[in-house]
Amino acid sequence: MKTTLKNPYIYLLFVLPTIALYFLFFIYPMITSFYYGFTDYNGLDAKNFIGFDNFANAFKDPDFRNSILNNVYILLFSCCVQVPLIVVFSLLISHVKRFQGFYKTTVFMPSILSTSVIGILWGYIYDPDVGLIDSILKSFGIEPIYFLADTKWALWSILITNAWQWMGFYIVLILAAILAIPKDIDEAAMIDGATGVQRAWYLTVPLIKPIINVVIMLSIAGALRVVDIVLVMTGGGPAGATDVMASYMVNKAIKYGDYGYGSALSIIIFAIALVLTALYQILIVRRQEKVEY
Amino acid sequence: MTISLRKSVPHIVMLVYVVIILAPFLFILFSSFKSSNTEIAAHPFGLPKHWAFDNYKEAWVKAKINVYFFNSLYLAVSSAVVGVLMAAATSFALSRMRFKRTSAWIYQFVLIGMLIPGNVLFIAQYLLVSDLHILNTHWSLFLPYTAGALPFSVLLIVAFMRAIPNELEEAAIVDGMGVMRMFAQVILPLTVPALVTVFIVNFLGNWNEYLLSFFFISKDALRTLPTGMVQFRDAFQMNYALVCTGIVFSVVPVLIIYMFLQRKIIEGLTAGSVKG
Repeated sequence: MKTTLKNPYIYLLFVLPTIALYFLFFIYPMITSFYYGFTDYNGLDAKNFIGFDNFANAFKDPDFRNSILNNVYILLFSCCVQVPLIVVFSLLISHVKRFQGFYKTTVFMPSILSTSVIGILWGYIYDPDVGLIDSILKSFGIEPIYFLADTKWALWSILITNAWQWMGFYIVLILAAILAIPKDIDEAAMIDGATGVQRAWYLTVPLIKPIINVVIMLSIAGALRVVDIVLVMTGGGPAGATDVMASYMVNKAIKYGDYGYGSALSIIIFAIALVLTALYQILIVRRQEKVEY
Repeated sequence: MTISLRKSVPHIVMLVYVVIILAPFLFILFSSFKSSNTEIAAHPFGLPKHWAFDNYKEAWVKAKINVYFFNSLYLAVSSAVVGVLMAAATSFALSRMRFKRTSAWIYQFVLIGMLIPGNVLFIAQYLLVSDLHILNTHWSLFLPYTAGALPFSVLLIVAFMRAIPNELEEAAIVDGMGVMRMFAQVILPLTVPALVTVFIVNFLGNWNEYLLSFFFISKDALRTLPTGMVQFRDAFQMNYALVCTGIVFSVVPVLIIYMFLQRKIIEGLTAGSVKG
């Protein structure tokens, strides 16, 4: 009677298409990325094997180094500014009864929209002629700021837009964890006379540390994945002020046909992502004891 | 501080947050009905003097938003459906059929995909689709979209199918059912909640995808909404009202779906990120 579920043809029929498609568009590109990364492939001439030259050039390339630095800024901003704010907002939402669902739905909304549409939308908010912010500034008699064309402001503008899009997503993640904590712990502390702030800081935050770690990990991964918003809002400009690793890689490959060099850059991005997540796991997550309640 | 004041502090803070989220949408919505740029600049938050509904007709037809819209719709739906069906069949084979060893290996192999950040594969995928001679066709998006969703879909559906009790399929076998019918008539109907979640996540991902569709498609008639919108903005840079109309067209369908399925959407998207 077990033979029905041991039919190898059906098994193959069910598994093979998935494996084939997955191999073709995931594993094969991964392998070819590594291969191209060691060549000077430009789409026209024959490929020559050039060893580690691309990688050496990448770290000498001032524009790429600049784009790494921009990724670092995005990473620091999301871990040091966004994550604490996210925790505060989720604590606030968890403490209210009325409108809790409304707050949750509203803050989550931007993260289901297309990054490119959000880029266009915020491009208008930042617009010096008709934009929302400069219109408000003008009514106070302040000179309009060219948010996306000024090297001082461009990266900040992108950071704010990115935070606006993604913070709600993480708030909902943490909120779910807070709401899963049994109520009696909080009630016991309340009877002992702890204030709301004390309970939040000494009780809730330690209990949700694991999910905060997840959010930090996701923020690190997200900071390295930022690319759509840059391409749509500034294209990496002005003068590379907003170029991130991925946007630099895409431009190198598509605009200049530098596939070999671009592939080397993509491997560097992959390596940085793996190292950062592994480091965070080893240094922070492993050291913390498990939370039980 | 009185108790009522203390209770309203969270509400005040959250209200500010909600305003920051919603203000850009209102600005875009009002702007889309205004007839000129000067009217937008003069009263960014004022209601338009005459409601310029013509903007909508103009954007839909002249700016070809309708073309982009249907391209996006059919690509997002078809690749999400195909992806869900493939993942469901594979998950059934991996979790219910009796090839334990092989299944464990295949499962691990597929999950490697979740470690690879999407844009790392961009150049190699670009070269792959141009080698396959499908650059500038919808296949160049359909195949990567479907493939890209597989690891997460298999992960979620396998977890769901493992929880289905064995007795069900034993009964089905005793009744003389074949594997195919068992999959289609017993297991699949029981998995519908997971399939819906996976479908929504994949659909939204495809509907919003920008990087591939911008660089793999250069024919205007084949563009999807996110890239078409960027094209549209660059072409009509000076007509702010019209571009705002375009934004409304691309945002409203998603918001309508969100209104009805918000719990499912939030659940699906957050589950995907945590497990990945």
